[in-house]
Amino acid sequence: MAAGTAAAGSQGSRTFLWVSVLGLLLVVALPALFIVLVAIFPRIGSGSLAAPFVHLIDTLADPDLARLGGNTLLMGAGTVSVAALLAVPLAALRALFRVPGALLWDVLMLVPFMIPPYIAALSWIMTLQPRGYMEQLTGVNLGWLLFSVPGIMILMALNTFPVVYFILSRTFETVGARYSDVGRVFGAGPWRAFARITLPLATPGIAASLLLVFAMTIEEYGTPAALGRRIGFEVLVTGIENRVSEWPIDLPGAATLSLVLVTMALAAFVLQRWLLSRRDFRIIGGKPQMIVKRPLGGWTVPVVLLFALVSSLATLIPVLAILASALCRTISGGLRPANMGLDNFAALLDAGGSGLTALGHSLALGGGTAVVAGLLGAITAYAVVKGRGRMRGFLDGLSLTPNAMPGVVVAVGIILAWNQPWLPLSPYNTPLILLLAYTCILLPQPVRYANAALSQLGDNLEAAAQVSGAGANRAFLRIVLPLIAPSILTSMILVFAVASRELVASLLVAPIGFETIAVYIWRQFDQGSVGMGMTMAFCAIVITTLIPLALIAVLRRLSRQGAPGLHPA
Amino acid sequence: MISAHPLALSLRGLRMAYGDQVVLDGIDLDLPKGQVLALLGASGSGKTTLLRLVAGLLMPTAGTVEIAGQTVAAPERGVVLPPEKRGLGMVFQDYALWPHLSVARNVAFPLEMQRLPAAERAARVTQALARVGLGDLADRRPSELSGGQQQRVAIARAIVGAPPLVLFDEPLSNLDRELREGMVEDLAALVANLELSAVYVTHDHAEALALADRIAVIHRGGIAQLASPAELIDRPASAAVAEFLRLGTLLPARCSDGEWVIKGTDIALGPGPDAAAAQVLLPERSLAPGTHGPAQLRAEVRSMQVRNTGFALSLTIAGTDLPVRLLSAHPARPGEMLALSYSPDALRWFPQAG
Repeated sequence: MAAGTAAAGSQGSRTFLWVSVLGLLLVVALPALFIVLVAIFPRIGSGSLAAPFVHLIDTLADPDLARLGGNTLLMGAGTVSVAALLAVPLAALRALFRVPGALLWDVLMLVPFMIPPYIAALSWIMTLQPRGYMEQLTGVNLGWLLFSVPGIMILMALNTFPVVYFILSRTFETVGARYSDVGRVFGAGPWRAFARITLPLATPGIAASLLLVFAMTIEEYGTPAALGRRIGFEVLVTGIENRVSEWPIDLPGAATLSLVLVTMALAAFVLQRWLLSRRDFRIIGGKPQMIVKRPLGGWTVPVVLLFALVSSLATLIPVLAILASALCRTISGGLRPANMGLDNFAALLDAGGSGLTALGHSLALGGGTAVVAGLLGAITAYAVVKGRGRMRGFLDGLSLTPNAMPGVVVAVGIILAWNQPWLPLSPYNTPLILLLAYTCILLPQPVRYANAALSQLGDNLEAAAQVSGAGANRAFLRIVLPLIAPSILTSMILVFAVASRELVASLLVAPIGFETIAVYIWRQFDQGSVGMGMTMAFCAIVITTLIPLALIAVLRRLSRQGAPGLHPA
Repeated sequence: MISAHPLALSLRGLRMAYGDQVVLDGIDLDLPKGQVLALLGASGSGKTTLLRLVAGLLMPTAGTVEIAGQTVAAPERGVVLPPEKRGLGMVFQDYALWPHLSVARNVAFPLEMQRLPAAERAARVTQALARVGLGDLADRRPSELSGGQQQRVAIARAIVGAPPLVLFDEPLSNLDRELREGMVEDLAALVANLELSAVYVTHDHAEALALADRIAVIHRGGIAQLASPAELIDRPASAAVAEFLRLGTLLPARCSDGEWVIKGTDIALGPGPDAAAAQVLLPERSLAPGTHGPAQLRAEVRSMQVRNTGFALSLTIAGTDLPVRLLSAHPARPGEMLALSYSPDALRWFPQAG
C-alpha cells in the first residue's frame, strides 16, 4: 500500500483482482486471442507461424466476403428500419397519450423477449409456409413473403423492436415531462413541442437503441439460418457456421470472417456507448414527475387497433403457432380437433427419452453458467468499481469484450483455442466446453448488474465497517455482498434463462451426442419431427422464462422488504 | 478499551499530498483525554482529509498519528495500521447505516468485531440505544427512521464499543436547522456525560463553538489557529480566521504621522500597532447603537431583516462601502443614519507589510 495514495482495504480486493484477471483471461481473452492468431497465422494449429497474413488477405479479397458482409449489413439496416417504423410511433403514442389498455400492450410487447428468435422463426414458418396454419385457416398463402429478404427483416424486427419501444417510451416520457412541458409554457403547441424539443432530445436514445437492434440482428443465427438458407441468402454468421461445420472445414476462413463480424458489432457497440455517454438526457435529475398524458380523442380506435395488430404479430401468432404445433398429433393432419392431443408432451417427457435428457443437460448447464458467470461478474465488478490501479481499465474492457462477440464467434474462438493438438488437457468434447462458451457470451450481464449495484453503494458503508473493526474481507462479506446480492441473483437468473436455450454455440461446440434444448429443437426440425421440436420449445419457454420471471418477482419483493433504499439520508 | 494514556490523539508533522498537490502540511495537534477537538474550516480546507487520516481511511505521506499512546500511522517507520486495527468510533456525514441490518444489528456490529459474547453484546446495545433515546426502535430498519433518528443510531454505533476516540464527520450537516440546533445540545450533553474524547469536523462555527473544548481552524491545509472557543472569539490569530468566523467587519487601516484612520477616509481609529498599514477587526459583538460608548462611528442603514431575536441591520460606514452588521432591538429604515459606539479596546489589529 503506497502512502498517500491508497486507502486501507485495498489489500482485501487483491485476491478478487487476481481471481478476476485469471477468470477473464481463460474465459474471454483466450478465445478472442486465438481468433486473431489463426486469422493471421493460418497454420498455427500445426505449430507453425508460416504464411502470415496470406489467408487473411485471401479471405478479405474473396468475393464471398463482400457478399456475406453486404448481406449482413443489408439485413441489419433493413431490420433496423422496420423496427424503427414499428417502435418509434408506438413509443411516442404510449408515452404522450392516454392509450387504453396501455399496461396490457406493455406486457404483450415483453413476450418477444421470452421467445428465442429461432423458435419464433420456426413458428412463423409453421404459420406462413404453403399449407401452413394461415392457409389452412384463411386460404391465404404468404410463403413468398416469409422466404424472402424483406420477410427475414420483418421477422427479425418483430423480435427486436420491443427493445426500442421500451427504451423510447421511457425517454419520451421523461423528456416530455421535463422539457417539452417547459416548451409549452413558453408557447409551443403540443406538436411543435414534440418536434422541436422531445424528438431532438430523444435522438441519441433512438439512435442508441437502434444500434442495439443492429447488433442483435447481425449476431443472430437462428432466423437467417432457418429462413435465409432456403433462398440462398447467407450472412456472416451463417457463413462462419458453414466454414466450421461443413466439409471442407476452413478454420482460418471462419476466424477471418469472425474478425469482420466482430468489427461490425464492435463499431455498433462503441458508437452506441459514445452516443449514450455523450448526451444521455435521461440521467439528468432523478425525481419522477407526474406526467399528465393527453387524451387521444377521435384517434382512440385507430391507435388501439395499431397496438393490437403489432402486439398480435409480435406475440400472439408465434405463441399460438408453437402451441398448435405442439398439440397436433401429426403436422400433416392439420388443425382439426381430432388431430389434437397431448401425445407430444407425453413422448417428450418420457423417462429416458432424448428430450428429457436434453432438458436436463440445459438446466444443469444453465444453472452452472449462472453460478460461474454471476460470481466472476460480481468479483470483476468489485475489482473494477472499488479497486485501484492500471488493472481496472484492462478488466473493465475485457469483461465488456463479449458484448462485441456474437455466439458464433465465441464458439469459433473456443474451437480454435481448445483444439490445439499440443494441449495436454482440454475441456473439448466434454460438457465443460459449453460452460466456458456460455460464460463468455453472458458475462457482460452480471458485470453490468453488479456494477450498477456497487456504484449505488456509498463508500462510507464499507468505511464504517472498517472503522468498526472489520477487515476488508469481512467488510465485503458482511456489508457489500448482502447489499448487492439481489442484483447479482437477478442477473444470474437472466443468465440461466438465456444460457439454457442458447443455439449456435451449442450446435458448434457441444460434444458428439450431447444435446441441449436448442440443439434438440433444431435437430427435430431438420428431421421433420416439428411437433416434438415445438413441444420442447413450449416447455423451454415455460421453464426458462416463466419460472425465472416468477423468481425475479419474488426476489424484488424480498429485497424491497430487506434492504430498501441503499442511501440512508 | 479506555486507555490510561493522557493524550487521546497526538499528531506530529502530518503531511498529505497526492503527487505535487499538497492537501495537508505541518499538522501538529494534541488532544487531552476527555476533551472534544473541533476541526473547523471551509469546504476544501483539508479538515475531512485530516479526519480520514486519523480514521485510517487515508494514509499520510509523512508524519505520525498516535491514538491513546499507540502509533497507528508513521509511514517513515513503516507503520500503517488499517482502520479496523485502530479501535475507533466514527459518525459519518451520510450516517452510513447498513440498510440490510436492523438498528440493533447496526449498533452491535463493532462489538461483534471485538468478539464479545452475545449476552454482553445485547446488554451494551440496549444501553447505547437508551443513551441516544432510541431504546424502543431496536428492531426497525434504518430506512424506517427519520433523519434525526438515523443520526442517533449512527452515534450509538460509534460509542457502543467505548472507543478511546470518537470521530464525527460533519454529523449534523444533513439535518434541517431546527433539528440541528436541538442535536447540538443533546450531543454536547452526551459527550460530557460519557467523557468522550472526540474529534469533530464541521464547517459551522456555531456547532464548533458550542461543542468543542478546543477548536483548530483549518485553512489551506494547515492549522490557522488552535484555541479554546472563548479565546478564538476574543483573539483571532489572523484576519483570515476572523473573516471565516464572521466575527465582524475587517477595516483596511493606514497610519500616517502616528494617527490610524480607515483607509481612504479621515475616520480615526485610535492608537494601533507600530506599522504603516493593517487590517482591523471591528467585532460585531462590541458594537452598540447610540452614543454611549467611548468611541463612535456613523453608519447608513442599507437593509433590514426581521428576526425572531430582533432586527438584523445591514449598514455601511458613512462615506465608505465597508459593511457592518448589527442586531438591533429597534427597526430602522434604509437610508437612515445611525450612530454606533464601540470600545477601542475591542479592536483587533493585524499589521500588514507595506
